[in-house]
Amino acid sequence: MAASDALGQFEQVVLTAILALREDAYGVTIHAKAQELAHPKAVSLGAVYVTLDRLEDKGFVSSWLTDPTPERGGRAKRCYRVEALGERALEESAATAKRIFDTIAQVWGKQWARQWGKRWRKETG
Amino acid sequence: MRAGPSRVAEIIVALLVPPACREEVTGDLHERYRSPLRYAAEALQTVPLLILSRMRSVTDPQLLLLQAFVFYICFLGADKLNGGAVLRDAWGLVRCAIPAVMALLGLVLADTYSNPAPRPPHPARSPLAGVLIAAASQGLLAIGRPEVAIPRLTLLYGCGMSLLLSSSIRLWFPPFLRPVSPGQWMQQAAEARDKGLSGTAAALAAVGIGILLLLVMAIAAK
Repeated sequence: MAASDALGQFEQVVLTAILALREDAYGVTIHAKAQELAHPKAVSLGAVYVTLDRLEDKGFVSSWLTDPTPERGGRAKRCYRVEALGERALEESAATAKRIFDTIAQVWGKQWARQWGKRWRKETG
Repeated sequence: MRAGPSRVAEIIVALLVPPACREEVTGDLHERYRSPLRYAAEALQTVPLLILSRMRSVTDPQLLLLQAFVFYICFLGADKLNGGAVLRDAWGLVRCAIPAVMALLGLVLADTYSNPAPRPPHPARSPLAGVLIAAASQGLLAIGRPEVAIPRLTLLYGCGMSLLLSSSIRLWFPPFLRPVSPGQWMQQAAEARDKGLSGTAAALAAVGIGILLLLVMAIAAK
């Protein structure tokens, strides 16, 4: 994968949010999901739009406009979908994260991994 | 009935958001509305980022450099045609750069606020906006700091040449304005690829135009 095609940390968060939301991925829901994934960091709506724009430029996601709805003041939503290129980039990121975790666990030991797992489960409920 | 932002606030936000993403962004802000203060805060946080993002999307750095070069050469050439009074001044090169920078700023802003759907804007639209902003800024300078402004005839020649050359460049190398639908975007990308226009071609054209203008200036000086 070329350097320009590699995913930044926030791009990973936004791409994962789109993947998780499936058919309901648009500005508001992506922002809410990204905020949940990036917890405890705060995520601004503007940053989500900028990242979506960049991901679309890279060909990782595609978008389309839906029909206008009254709860949005008669305006349409722009829905997003992860494309094959985006799925590949996300897989690569997940594999890298897994390798990093395994290496840390190897160095710091099984005790640390168990404690980390407990803390993770507690944080995510 | 669900509360929403005031009509005036929505119109202001809609005017500030670039048209390419206006529909979805104003809709998202409407959906997230809780109070007028929060709406204003969210709009203030979001709109500048959207403008910068759109600028990044529509600006090709090589093409922008070429346009900057053309604008500057045009105003230098215009001064030469008008007797070279500005260039004889110690700050002449800087004085000629002011309208060129303003024209470039106008061009980028016009591209940012142009809507590629349903069809791309006319090639002369953004250069026209650029020269109008350059002329307006010179008008303001003539009122506030007349010693910095360039003479009216030089401005007229410079704006005319800039408009002509900049529009020609945009005919040869159309700016990358991403349309709304992915299908259109792919079609535009394929067309650009078929034409085989590259950064090298743009650089060669810049050198060619530069030489041409230098020749014109040399002839005019004689």
